[in-house]
Amino acid sequence: MSQYKIIFTGPVGAGKTTAIQSISDVEPIKTDAAASDMTKKRKSATTVAMDYGIMKLEDGEKIHLYGTPGQERFDFMWDILTVGGLGLILLLDNTRADPFQDMQFFLDSFAGFITETSVAIGVTQMDLSSKPSIDDYHKQLQKSDMKPAVFAVDAREQKDISLLVQALLFTLDPGLEDE
Amino acid sequence: MKSKDKKLIQVALYGMDERTYKTMEMFLKGPCKGIAVVVDEQNAEIDLIDADYIKARDVLDERQSQTPERPIILLSLQELSLSGTIYVKKPVQSPDLITALKQGNEILHGGKVKKRAGSAKQDAEPKVEPKLEDKTESTVEEGEADKKELYKEQQKTRKHRTARDLTEVGFSSYMGHVDGVDFSDPEQVLLASYNPKNHFLGYVKTAIKVAKEKSRILQLNSGWKSLVIFPHSNEIWLDAGDKQLRIYAGLEIKKNSKNSMSLSPIDQDAFNFGEKMENFDDIDAFIWKLAIWTSKGQYPVSIDINRPVYLKQWPNFTRLVVTPHAMRIAALLIDGPRTAMNLADALNIKPQYVFVFISAAKTLGLLGQAKRNADILTVPPEVKPSKSKGILSRILGRLRGE
Repeated sequence: MSQYKIIFTGPVGAGKTTAIQSISDVEPIKTDAAASDMTKKRKSATTVAMDYGIMKLEDGEKIHLYGTPGQERFDFMWDILTVGGLGLILLLDNTRADPFQDMQFFLDSFAGFITETSVAIGVTQMDLSSKPSIDDYHKQLQKSDMKPAVFAVDAREQKDISLLVQALLFTLDPGLEDE
Repeated sequence: MKSKDKKLIQVALYGMDERTYKTMEMFLKGPCKGIAVVVDEQNAEIDLIDADYIKARDVLDERQSQTPERPIILLSLQELSLSGTIYVKKPVQSPDLITALKQGNEILHGGKVKKRAGSAKQDAEPKVEPKLEDKTESTVEEGEADKKELYKEQQKTRKHRTARDLTEVGFSSYMGHVDGVDFSDPEQVLLASYNPKNHFLGYVKTAIKVAKEKSRILQLNSGWKSLVIFPHSNEIWLDAGDKQLRIYAGLEIKKNSKNSMSLSPIDQDAFNFGEKMENFDDIDAFIWKLAIWTSKGQYPVSIDINRPVYLKQWPNFTRLVVTPHAMRIAALLIDGPRTAMNLADALNIKPQYVFVFISAAKTLGLLGQAKRNADILTVPPEVKPSKSKGILSRILGRLRGE
Protein backbone atom coordinates (compact mmCIF):
# COMPACT_ATOMS: atom_id res chain seq x y z
CA MET A 1 0.00 0.00 0.00
CA SER A 2 1.29 3.47 -0.90
CA GLN A 3 2.08 5.89 1.86
CA TYR A 4 0.39 9.19 1.12
CA LYS A 5 1.68 12.31 2.80
CA ILE A 6 0.82 15.97 3.02
CA ILE A 7 3.68 18.12 4.22
CA PHE A 8 3.18 21.16 6.45
CA THR A 9 6.04 23.60 6.62
CA GLY A 10 6.79 27.15 7.73
CA PRO A 11 8.72 29.06 10.35
CA VAL A 12 8.46 28.52 14.08
CA GLY A 13 5.18 29.68 15.54
CA ALA A 14 3.30 29.66 12.23
CA GLY A 15 0.90 27.02 13.54
CA LYS A 16 2.04 23.79 11.90
CA THR A 17 1.41 21.67 14.96
CA THR A 18 -2.00 23.21 15.55
CA ALA A 19 -2.96 22.89 11.90
CA ILE A 20 -2.12 19.21 11.86
CA GLN A 21 -4.05 18.82 15.10
CA SER A 22 -7.07 20.49 13.47
CA ILE A 23 -7.53 17.83 10.81
CA SER A 24 -5.81 14.79 12.31
CA ASP A 25 -7.94 11.86 13.44
CA VAL A 26 -5.43 10.95 16.08
CA GLU A 27 -3.74 13.08 18.66
CA PRO A 28 -0.71 14.35 16.74
CA ILE A 29 2.57 12.93 17.83
CA LYS A 30 4.72 15.82 18.93
CA THR A 31 8.31 14.85 19.28
CA ASP A 32 8.63 16.51 22.65
CA ALA A 33 5.57 14.79 23.99
CA ALA A 34 6.76 11.46 22.70
CA ALA A 35 10.00 11.87 24.50
CA SER A 36 8.59 13.09 27.75
CA ASP A 37 8.31 9.69 29.36
CA MET A 38 11.85 8.80 28.71
CA THR A 39 14.81 9.48 30.83
CA LYS A 40 16.62 12.72 30.25
CA LYS A 41 19.51 11.01 28.53
CA ARG A 42 17.24 8.97 26.31
CA LYS A 43 15.11 12.01 25.56
CA SER A 44 17.85 14.06 24.01
CA ALA A 45 19.01 11.11 21.98
CA THR A 46 15.65 10.31 20.51
CA THR A 47 14.08 13.67 19.78
CA VAL A 48 13.23 13.80 16.10
CA ALA A 49 11.63 17.24 16.18
CA MET A 50 8.74 16.95 13.78
CA ASP A 51 4.99 16.66 14.07
CA TYR A 52 2.91 13.86 12.77
CA GLY A 53 -0.81 13.27 12.39
CA ILE A 54 -3.10 10.96 10.45
CA MET A 55 -6.25 11.50 8.44
CA LYS A 56 -8.20 8.28 8.14
CA LEU A 57 -10.22 7.78 4.98
CA GLU A 58 -13.37 5.70 4.77
CA ASP A 59 -11.68 2.84 2.96
CA GLY A 60 -9.09 2.50 5.70
CA GLU A 61 -6.41 4.40 3.82
CA LYS A 62 -4.35 6.74 5.94
CA ILE A 63 -3.02 10.12 4.93
CA HIS A 64 0.08 11.00 6.88
CA LEU A 65 0.45 14.62 7.89
CA TYR A 66 4.01 15.67 8.54
CA GLY A 67 5.12 18.98 9.99
CA THR A 68 8.69 19.90 9.22
CA PRO A 69 10.92 20.98 12.07
CA GLY A 70 10.19 24.62 12.63
CA GLN A 71 13.61 26.11 12.39
CA GLU A 72 14.98 26.75 8.96
CA ARG A 73 18.36 25.52 9.95
CA PHE A 74 17.30 21.92 9.95
CA ASP A 75 16.47 21.61 6.31
CA PHE A 76 18.54 18.46 5.94
CA MET A 77 15.42 16.55 7.03
CA TRP A 78 13.14 18.07 4.42
CA ASP A 79 14.25 16.04 1.44
CA ILE A 80 13.53 12.86 3.33
CA LEU A 81 10.13 14.08 4.46
CA THR A 82 8.85 15.12 1.07
CA VAL A 83 9.51 11.85 -0.75
CA GLY A 84 6.11 10.60 -1.90
CA GLY A 85 4.33 13.71 -0.66
CA LEU A 86 1.08 14.78 -2.34
CA GLY A 87 1.68 18.49 -1.85
CA LEU A 88 2.86 21.25 0.43
CA ILE A 89 1.02 23.43 2.91
CA LEU A 90 3.12 26.47 3.75
CA LEU A 91 2.10 28.34 6.88
CA LEU A 92 3.46 31.83 7.49
CA ASP A 93 3.29 33.90 10.64
CA ASN A 94 2.28 37.48 9.84
CA THR A 95 3.82 38.82 13.04
CA ARG A 96 7.32 37.73 12.06
CA ALA A 97 9.89 40.36 11.18
CA ASP A 98 9.82 39.65 7.45
CA PRO A 99 7.10 37.20 6.34
CA PHE A 100 7.99 37.69 2.65
CA GLN A 101 11.50 36.56 3.31
CA ASP A 102 10.14 33.55 5.16
CA MET A 103 7.86 32.78 2.24
CA GLN A 104 10.62 33.05 -0.34
CA PHE A 105 12.91 30.95 1.77
CA PHE A 106 10.45 28.07 2.04
CA LEU A 107 9.36 28.33 -1.59
CA ASP A 108 13.00 28.16 -2.65
CA SER A 109 13.78 25.34 -0.28
CA PHE A 110 10.87 23.24 -1.51
CA ALA A 111 11.04 24.42 -5.13
CA GLY A 112 11.60 20.94 -6.51
CA PHE A 113 8.78 19.42 -4.50
CA ILE A 114 6.41 22.26 -5.43
CA THR A 115 7.21 21.84 -9.12
CA GLU A 116 6.36 18.15 -8.88
CA THR A 117 3.23 18.71 -6.81
CA SER A 118 1.79 22.04 -5.65
CA VAL A 119 1.59 24.44 -2.73
CA ALA A 120 -1.13 26.29 -0.82
CA ILE A 121 -0.21 29.07 1.58
CA GLY A 122 -1.90 29.90 4.87
CA VAL A 123 -1.12 33.13 6.69
CA THR A 124 -1.64 33.00 10.43
CA GLN A 125 -1.80 35.70 13.11
CA MET A 126 -3.44 38.20 10.77
CA ASP A 127 -5.68 39.27 13.62
CA LEU A 128 -2.56 40.50 15.42
CA SER A 129 -0.83 41.93 12.38
CA SER A 130 -2.93 42.76 9.34
CA LYS A 131 0.07 43.75 7.21
CA PRO A 132 1.22 42.42 4.86
CA SER A 133 -2.25 41.78 3.51
CA ILE A 134 -3.26 38.75 1.46
CA ASP A 135 -3.13 41.00 -1.62
CA ASP A 136 0.44 41.93 -0.71
CA TYR A 137 1.37 38.24 -0.64
CA HIS A 138 -0.13 37.73 -4.07
CA LYS A 139 1.78 40.71 -5.47
CA GLN A 140 4.96 39.30 -4.04
CA LEU A 141 4.26 35.86 -5.49
CA GLN A 142 3.48 37.28 -8.91
CA LYS A 143 7.05 38.55 -9.09
CA SER A 144 8.03 34.88 -9.19
CA ASP A 145 5.20 34.14 -11.62
CA MET A 146 3.40 32.07 -8.99
CA LYS A 147 -0.34 32.04 -8.34
CA PRO A 148 -0.93 29.67 -5.45
CA ALA A 149 -3.92 29.90 -3.12
CA VAL A 150 -3.15 32.22 -0.21
CA PHE A 151 -5.66 32.23 2.63
CA ALA A 152 -5.79 33.96 5.99
CA VAL A 153 -6.07 31.09 8.44
CA ASP A 154 -6.53 30.45 12.10
CA ALA A 155 -4.69 27.17 12.58
CA ARG A 156 -7.09 26.28 15.39
CA GLU A 157 -10.06 26.44 13.04
CA GLN A 158 -10.65 23.10 11.39
CA LYS A 159 -12.58 24.76 8.58
CA ASP A 160 -9.71 27.10 7.73
CA ILE A 161 -7.19 24.29 7.50
CA SER A 162 -9.64 22.08 5.67
CA LEU A 163 -10.23 24.79 3.04
CA LEU A 164 -6.51 25.31 2.67
CA VAL A 165 -5.91 21.62 2.05
CA GLN A 166 -8.89 21.55 -0.33
CA ALA A 167 -7.32 24.40 -2.31
CA LEU A 168 -4.15 22.35 -2.56
CA LEU A 169 -6.14 19.36 -3.83
CA PHE A 170 -8.01 21.43 -6.44
CA THR A 171 -4.77 22.99 -7.60
CA LEU A 172 -3.50 19.49 -8.22
CA ASP A 173 -6.70 18.56 -10.04
CA PRO A 174 -9.49 21.12 -10.61
CA GLY A 175 -11.75 18.35 -11.86
CA LEU A 176 -11.88 16.64 -8.48
CA GLU A 177 -15.20 15.70 -6.97
CA ASP A 178 -16.00 14.21 -3.58
CA GLU A 179 -16.07 10.46 -3.38
CA MET B 1 30.76 13.78 31.80
CA LYS B 2 31.64 17.07 33.42
CA SER B 3 35.28 16.88 32.53
CA LYS B 4 34.36 16.11 28.95
CA ASP B 5 32.00 19.08 28.78
CA LYS B 6 34.70 21.41 30.01
CA LYS B 7 36.54 20.98 26.74
CA LEU B 8 33.49 21.99 24.78
CA ILE B 9 32.39 25.52 24.05
CA GLN B 10 29.50 26.30 26.33
CA VAL B 11 26.65 28.10 24.60
CA ALA B 12 23.31 29.44 25.73
CA LEU B 13 20.39 29.54 23.32
CA TYR B 14 17.88 32.39 23.04
CA GLY B 15 14.75 33.03 21.00
CA MET B 16 13.99 29.37 20.43
CA ASP B 17 11.00 27.38 21.51
CA GLU B 18 11.44 24.15 23.42
CA ARG B 19 11.48 21.93 20.38
CA THR B 20 13.92 24.07 18.47
CA TYR B 21 16.07 24.30 21.53
CA LYS B 22 16.32 20.51 21.68
CA THR B 23 16.93 20.22 17.98
CA MET B 24 19.76 22.74 18.22
CA GLU B 25 21.25 20.70 21.02
CA MET B 26 21.20 17.72 18.69
CA PHE B 27 22.60 19.76 15.85
CA LEU B 28 25.58 20.79 17.96
CA LYS B 29 26.14 17.24 19.09
CA GLY B 30 25.71 15.66 15.69
CA PRO B 31 26.45 17.68 12.54
CA CYS B 32 28.63 20.12 14.51
CA LYS B 33 30.63 17.20 15.90
CA GLY B 34 30.12 18.14 19.50
CA ILE B 35 32.13 21.34 19.29
CA ALA B 36 29.76 22.97 21.75
CA VAL B 37 27.30 22.05 24.41
CA VAL B 38 24.18 23.88 25.49
CA VAL B 39 24.23 25.16 29.05
CA ASP B 40 22.18 27.65 31.03
CA GLU B 41 22.83 31.34 30.53
CA GLN B 42 24.85 31.80 33.73
CA ASN B 43 27.45 29.25 32.67
CA ALA B 44 27.62 30.07 28.98
CA GLU B 45 30.70 31.32 27.17
CA ILE B 46 28.87 32.27 23.98
CA ASP B 47 25.29 33.38 23.39
CA LEU B 48 23.48 32.06 20.36
CA ILE B 49 20.38 34.05 19.39
CA ASP B 50 17.73 33.39 16.77
CA ALA B 51 17.63 36.91 15.35
CA ASP B 52 14.34 36.24 13.55
CA TYR B 53 12.62 35.79 16.89
CA ILE B 54 10.13 38.61 17.38
CA LYS B 55 11.82 39.93 20.54
CA ALA B 56 15.37 39.31 19.33
CA ARG B 57 16.22 42.99 19.67
CA ASP B 58 15.37 42.91 23.36
CA VAL B 59 17.28 39.70 23.91
CA LEU B 60 20.34 41.12 22.17
CA ASP B 61 20.25 44.35 24.20
CA GLU B 62 19.87 42.40 27.40
CA ARG B 63 22.73 40.04 26.64
CA GLN B 64 25.03 42.88 25.62
CA SER B 65 24.32 44.80 28.82
CA GLN B 66 24.47 41.86 31.20
CA THR B 67 27.50 40.05 29.77
CA PRO B 68 29.29 42.52 27.47
CA GLU B 69 32.39 40.36 27.27
CA ARG B 70 30.52 37.36 25.97
CA PRO B 71 30.57 36.77 22.18
CA ILE B 72 27.17 36.63 20.51
CA ILE B 73 26.23 34.62 17.45
CA LEU B 74 23.14 35.75 15.52
CA LEU B 75 21.24 33.33 13.29
CA SER B 76 19.07 35.00 10.69
CA LEU B 77 17.56 34.67 7.26
CA GLN B 78 18.58 38.23 6.49
CA GLU B 79 22.14 39.39 6.39
CA LEU B 80 23.05 41.22 9.57
CA SER B 81 26.08 43.31 10.30
CA LEU B 82 26.03 44.36 13.90
CA SER B 83 28.86 45.46 16.12
CA GLY B 84 30.23 42.78 18.41
CA THR B 85 28.24 39.95 16.93
CA ILE B 86 28.97 37.05 14.65
CA TYR B 87 26.44 36.40 11.95
CA VAL B 88 25.44 32.99 10.61
CA LYS B 89 23.00 32.82 7.75
CA LYS B 90 20.04 30.49 7.90
CA PRO B 91 19.57 27.72 7.04
CA VAL B 92 22.53 27.04 9.22
CA GLN B 93 25.13 24.78 7.77
CA SER B 94 27.28 22.97 10.28
CA PRO B 95 30.63 24.28 8.84
CA ASP B 96 29.40 27.86 9.21
CA LEU B 97 28.25 27.37 12.75
CA ILE B 98 31.48 25.59 13.68
CA THR B 99 33.47 28.50 12.21
CA ALA B 100 31.36 31.00 14.10
CA LEU B 101 31.77 29.12 17.35
CA LYS B 102 35.53 28.98 16.85
CA GLN B 103 35.57 32.72 16.15
CA GLY B 104 33.61 33.34 19.30
CA ASN B 105 35.99 31.15 21.24
CA GLU B 106 38.99 33.08 19.93
CA ILE B 107 37.40 36.40 20.90
CA LEU B 108 36.64 34.99 24.31
CA HIS B 109 40.22 34.01 24.88
CA GLY B 110 41.74 37.23 23.55
CA GLY B 111 42.68 35.98 20.11
CA LYS B 112 42.03 37.83 16.90
CA VAL B 113 39.82 36.63 14.17
CA LYS B 114 42.05 36.11 11.15
CA LYS B 115 39.52 35.66 8.44
CA ARG B 116 35.93 35.15 7.73
CA ALA B 117 34.81 31.74 6.69
CA GLY B 118 31.65 30.61 4.97
CA SER B 119 28.73 32.83 5.75
CA ALA B 120 29.80 33.35 9.34
CA LYS B 121 30.80 36.98 9.70
CA GLN B 122 32.14 38.94 12.62
CA ASP B 123 31.97 42.68 12.51
CA ALA B 124 33.97 44.96 14.73
CA GLU B 125 32.34 48.01 13.19
CA PRO B 126 28.81 48.17 11.98
CA LYS B 127 28.22 48.79 8.29
CA VAL B 128 24.50 48.52 8.19
CA GLU B 129 22.02 48.97 10.95
CA PRO B 130 20.42 45.67 11.83
CA LYS B 131 16.86 45.16 10.82
CA LEU B 132 15.82 43.46 14.01
CA GLU B 133 12.38 44.86 14.57
CA ASP B 134 11.69 46.05 18.04
CA LYS B 135 8.04 45.22 18.18
CA THR B 136 7.98 45.04 21.96
CA GLU B 137 8.49 48.73 22.49
CA SER B 138 5.56 49.70 20.38
CA THR B 139 3.52 46.95 21.97
CA VAL B 140 4.13 48.43 25.39
CA GLU B 141 3.32 51.94 24.24
CA GLU B 142 0.20 50.86 22.50
CA GLY B 143 -0.78 48.32 25.10
CA GLU B 144 -3.87 50.09 26.37
CA ALA B 145 -5.03 51.04 22.92
CA ASP B 146 -4.53 47.45 21.81
CA LYS B 147 -6.62 46.19 24.68
CA LYS B 148 -9.44 48.49 23.67
CA GLU B 149 -9.14 47.42 20.06
CA LEU B 150 -9.10 43.79 21.11
CA TYR B 151 -12.22 44.32 23.18
CA LYS B 152 -13.89 45.94 20.20
CA GLU B 153 -12.80 43.08 17.97
CA GLN B 154 -14.26 40.55 20.39
CA GLN B 155 -17.61 42.30 20.15
CA LYS B 156 -17.55 42.18 16.37
CA THR B 157 -18.52 38.57 16.24
CA ARG B 158 -20.12 38.75 12.85
CA LYS B 159 -16.81 39.07 11.09
CA HIS B 160 -16.43 36.10 8.78
CA ARG B 161 -19.43 34.49 10.45
CA THR B 162 -21.29 34.03 7.18
CA ALA B 163 -18.21 32.40 5.69
CA ARG B 164 -17.86 30.15 8.72
CA ASP B 165 -21.49 29.16 8.91
CA LEU B 166 -22.19 28.52 5.25
CA THR B 167 -20.64 25.45 3.73
CA GLU B 168 -20.42 24.96 -0.01
CA VAL B 169 -23.02 22.22 0.18
CA GLY B 170 -25.32 24.22 2.41
CA PHE B 171 -25.17 27.19 0.12
CA SER B 172 -27.00 25.67 -2.86
CA SER B 173 -30.42 26.32 -1.46
CA TYR B 174 -29.30 29.72 -0.23
CA MET B 175 -28.41 31.22 -3.60
CA GLY B 176 -31.93 32.13 -4.58
CA HIS B 177 -33.49 31.99 -8.00
CA VAL B 178 -34.48 34.35 -10.78
CA ASP B 179 -38.04 34.49 -12.00
CA GLY B 180 -38.46 34.32 -15.74
CA VAL B 181 -35.14 32.63 -16.56
CA ASP B 182 -35.09 28.97 -17.49
CA PHE B 183 -31.51 27.94 -16.84
CA SER B 184 -32.06 24.66 -18.65
CA ASP B 185 -32.51 26.62 -21.88
CA PRO B 186 -29.04 27.47 -23.30
CA GLU B 187 -30.34 30.57 -25.04
CA GLN B 188 -31.99 31.95 -21.93
CA VAL B 189 -28.86 31.25 -19.90
CA LEU B 190 -26.87 33.58 -22.09
CA LEU B 191 -29.34 36.35 -21.38
CA ALA B 192 -29.32 35.86 -17.62
CA SER B 193 -27.50 39.03 -16.69
CA TYR B 194 -28.07 41.73 -14.12
CA ASN B 195 -26.85 45.27 -13.70
CA PRO B 196 -25.27 45.85 -10.26
CA LYS B 197 -25.99 49.57 -10.61
CA ASN B 198 -29.68 48.82 -10.31
CA HIS B 199 -29.21 47.03 -7.02
CA PHE B 200 -28.08 47.85 -3.51
CA LEU B 201 -24.69 46.37 -4.49
CA GLY B 202 -24.00 49.23 -6.90
CA TYR B 203 -24.70 51.87 -4.28
CA VAL B 204 -22.65 50.10 -1.63
CA LYS B 205 -19.69 49.80 -4.00
CA THR B 206 -19.87 53.50 -4.84
CA ALA B 207 -20.18 54.40 -1.18
CA ILE B 208 -17.11 52.30 -0.32
CA LYS B 209 -15.13 53.95 -3.09
CA VAL B 210 -16.05 57.43 -1.86
CA ALA B 211 -15.33 56.56 1.77
CA LYS B 212 -11.90 55.26 0.83
CA GLU B 213 -11.07 58.19 -1.41
CA LYS B 214 -12.13 60.70 1.23
CA SER B 215 -10.76 58.53 4.01
CA ARG B 216 -13.89 59.26 6.03
CA ILE B 217 -16.44 57.17 7.88
CA LEU B 218 -19.60 57.44 5.84
CA GLN B 219 -23.16 56.34 6.25
CA LEU B 220 -25.14 55.21 3.24
CA ASN B 221 -28.69 56.46 3.55
CA SER B 222 -30.82 54.26 1.35
CA GLY B 223 -34.22 54.42 2.94
CA TRP B 224 -33.57 50.84 4.05
CA LYS B 225 -31.28 49.80 6.88
CA SER B 226 -28.43 51.93 8.12
CA LEU B 227 -25.04 51.02 6.63
CA VAL B 228 -21.78 52.56 7.83
CA ILE B 229 -18.41 52.22 6.11
CA PHE B 230 -15.16 52.35 8.07
CA PRO B 231 -12.42 52.77 5.46
CA HIS B 232 -9.52 52.72 7.92
CA SER B 233 -10.34 49.33 9.36
CA ASN B 234 -11.90 48.05 6.12
CA GLU B 235 -15.17 47.30 7.87
CA ILE B 236 -18.86 47.71 7.26
CA TRP B 237 -21.64 47.87 9.79
CA LEU B 238 -25.16 47.07 8.67
CA ASP B 239 -28.22 47.26 10.82
CA ALA B 240 -29.61 44.04 9.40
CA GLY B 241 -28.95 40.32 9.39
CA ASP B 242 -27.92 38.14 6.45
CA LYS B 243 -31.47 36.99 5.79
CA GLN B 244 -32.72 40.57 5.39
CA LEU B 245 -29.71 41.51 3.30
CA ARG B 246 -30.17 38.53 1.00
CA ILE B 247 -33.73 39.53 0.21
CA TYR B 248 -32.93 43.21 -0.26
CA ALA B 249 -29.88 42.46 -2.43
CA GLY B 250 -32.00 40.66 -4.98
CA LEU B 251 -34.45 43.51 -5.42
CA GLU B 252 -34.03 46.07 -8.15
CA ILE B 253 -34.03 49.57 -6.78
CA LYS B 254 -36.72 51.65 -8.43
CA LYS B 255 -35.70 54.77 -10.27
CA ASN B 256 -37.58 57.08 -7.95
CA SER B 257 -35.88 55.46 -4.95
CA LYS B 258 -32.44 56.20 -6.38
CA ASN B 259 -32.87 59.87 -5.55
CA SER B 260 -33.18 59.04 -1.89
CA MET B 261 -29.69 57.49 -1.80
CA SER B 262 -27.17 59.71 -0.09
CA LEU B 263 -23.94 59.62 1.85
CA SER B 264 -23.29 61.46 5.07
CA PRO B 265 -20.19 61.62 7.24
CA ILE B 266 -20.61 60.37 10.78
CA ASP B 267 -18.71 60.62 14.01
CA GLN B 268 -17.81 57.10 15.10
CA ASP B 269 -17.94 57.93 18.79
CA ALA B 270 -21.29 59.64 18.50
CA PHE B 271 -22.88 56.92 16.40
CA ASN B 272 -25.04 54.53 18.34
CA PHE B 273 -24.40 50.93 17.37
CA GLY B 274 -26.67 49.83 20.16
CA GLU B 275 -26.10 46.24 21.08
CA LYS B 276 -25.26 45.35 17.50
CA MET B 277 -21.50 45.16 17.58
CA GLU B 278 -21.91 41.74 15.99
CA ASN B 279 -23.10 43.45 12.81
CA PHE B 280 -19.60 44.38 11.71
CA ASP B 281 -18.22 42.73 8.61
CA ASP B 282 -15.02 42.91 6.68
CA ILE B 283 -15.68 45.01 3.55
CA ASP B 284 -14.45 42.33 1.16
CA ALA B 285 -16.48 39.60 2.85
CA PHE B 286 -19.54 41.86 2.81
CA ILE B 287 -19.50 42.85 -0.85
CA TRP B 288 -18.59 39.27 -1.86
CA LYS B 289 -21.76 37.91 -0.29
CA LEU B 290 -23.78 40.93 -1.41
CA ALA B 291 -22.70 40.21 -5.00
CA ILE B 292 -23.70 36.56 -4.62
CA TRP B 293 -27.15 37.45 -3.39
CA THR B 294 -27.55 40.11 -6.05
CA SER B 295 -26.52 37.70 -8.78
CA LYS B 296 -28.79 34.82 -7.79
CA GLY B 297 -27.17 32.82 -10.56
CA GLN B 298 -26.94 35.61 -13.16
CA TYR B 299 -23.80 37.24 -14.50
CA PRO B 300 -23.01 40.97 -14.30
CA VAL B 301 -23.96 42.84 -17.45
CA SER B 302 -20.47 44.29 -17.78
CA ILE B 303 -19.16 40.80 -18.62
CA ASP B 304 -19.21 39.74 -22.26
CA ILE B 305 -20.41 36.19 -21.85
CA ASN B 306 -18.75 35.10 -25.10
CA ARG B 307 -15.27 36.24 -24.12
CA PRO B 308 -13.01 34.42 -21.71
CA VAL B 309 -12.48 35.65 -18.21
CA TYR B 310 -9.41 35.16 -16.04
CA LEU B 311 -8.70 35.18 -12.34
CA LYS B 312 -5.98 37.50 -11.08
CA GLN B 313 -5.54 35.64 -7.80
CA TRP B 314 -7.27 33.12 -5.59
CA PRO B 315 -10.06 34.60 -3.47
CA ASN B 316 -9.33 34.41 0.25
CA PHE B 317 -11.82 31.60 0.70
CA THR B 318 -11.41 31.19 4.44
CA ARG B 319 -12.93 34.65 4.92
CA LEU B 320 -15.53 34.53 2.15
CA VAL B 321 -18.66 32.53 1.50
CA VAL B 322 -17.60 29.53 -0.57
CA THR B 323 -20.24 29.12 -3.25
CA PRO B 324 -20.82 25.72 -4.87
CA HIS B 325 -17.82 24.62 -6.97
CA ALA B 326 -16.07 27.94 -6.28
CA MET B 327 -12.76 26.30 -5.49
CA ARG B 328 -12.82 24.15 -8.61
CA ILE B 329 -13.68 27.19 -10.73
CA ALA B 330 -10.89 29.21 -9.11
CA ALA B 331 -8.34 26.43 -9.61
CA LEU B 332 -9.24 26.11 -13.28
CA LEU B 333 -9.46 29.82 -13.96
CA ILE B 334 -6.16 30.62 -12.30
CA ASP B 335 -4.50 28.44 -14.94
CA GLY B 336 -5.79 30.48 -17.87
CA PRO B 337 -8.74 32.34 -19.37
CA ARG B 338 -11.98 30.51 -20.18
CA THR B 339 -15.49 31.55 -21.03
CA ALA B 340 -18.16 31.05 -18.41
CA MET B 341 -19.83 28.39 -20.49
CA ASN B 342 -16.55 26.58 -21.07
CA LEU B 343 -15.99 26.53 -17.32
CA ALA B 344 -19.42 25.05 -16.76
CA ASP B 345 -18.81 22.42 -19.44
CA ALA B 346 -15.30 21.55 -18.28
CA LEU B 347 -16.41 21.05 -14.71
CA ASN B 348 -19.81 19.65 -15.64
CA ILE B 349 -21.66 22.07 -13.41
CA LYS B 350 -24.64 24.39 -13.75
CA PRO B 351 -23.84 27.78 -15.37
CA GLN B 352 -25.48 29.53 -12.41
CA TYR B 353 -22.63 28.46 -10.16
CA VAL B 354 -20.11 29.91 -12.59
CA PHE B 355 -22.10 33.14 -12.87
CA VAL B 356 -22.34 33.52 -9.12
CA PHE B 357 -18.60 33.05 -8.77
CA ILE B 358 -17.89 35.48 -11.60
CA SER B 359 -20.18 38.07 -10.01
CA ALA B 360 -18.48 37.85 -6.63
CA ALA B 361 -14.94 37.74 -8.00
CA LYS B 362 -15.61 40.65 -10.36
CA THR B 363 -17.04 42.73 -7.52
CA LEU B 364 -13.86 42.22 -5.53
CA GLY B 365 -11.72 43.10 -8.55
CA LEU B 366 -10.25 39.61 -8.75
CA LEU B 367 -11.63 38.79 -12.17
CA GLY B 368 -10.82 40.30 -15.55
CA GLN B 369 -12.04 39.83 -19.08
CA ALA B 370 -9.52 38.58 -21.59
CA LYS B 371 -8.93 41.10 -24.36
CA ARG B 372 -6.29 39.33 -26.42
CA ASN B 373 -7.54 37.69 -29.57
CA ALA B 374 -5.34 34.70 -28.80
CA ASP B 375 -7.40 34.01 -25.70
CA ILE B 376 -10.53 33.85 -27.80
CA LEU B 377 -9.15 31.96 -30.75
CA THR B 378 -7.50 29.15 -28.88
CA VAL B 379 -9.54 26.45 -27.27
CA PRO B 380 -8.73 26.10 -23.58
CA PRO B 381 -7.03 22.83 -22.70
CA GLU B 382 -9.11 19.96 -21.43
CA VAL B 383 -9.09 19.30 -17.73
CA LYS B 384 -6.76 16.35 -17.38
CA PRO B 385 -7.28 14.24 -14.31
CA SER B 386 -4.33 13.89 -11.99
CA LYS B 387 -2.63 10.52 -11.66
CA SER B 388 -3.55 10.64 -7.99
CA LYS B 389 -7.16 11.57 -8.68
CA GLY B 390 -8.53 8.63 -6.71
CA ILE B 391 -6.73 9.37 -3.48
CA LEU B 392 -7.19 13.13 -3.86
CA SER B 393 -10.96 12.68 -4.26
CA ARG B 394 -11.08 10.51 -1.18
CA ILE B 395 -9.19 13.09 0.85
CA LEU B 396 -11.58 15.75 -0.41
CA GLY B 397 -14.54 13.61 0.62
CA ARG B 398 -13.03 13.16 4.05
CA LEU B 399 -12.44 16.90 4.49
CA ARG B 400 -15.90 17.83 3.32
CA GLY B 401 -17.58 15.15 5.34
CA GLU B 402 -16.30 16.57 8.60
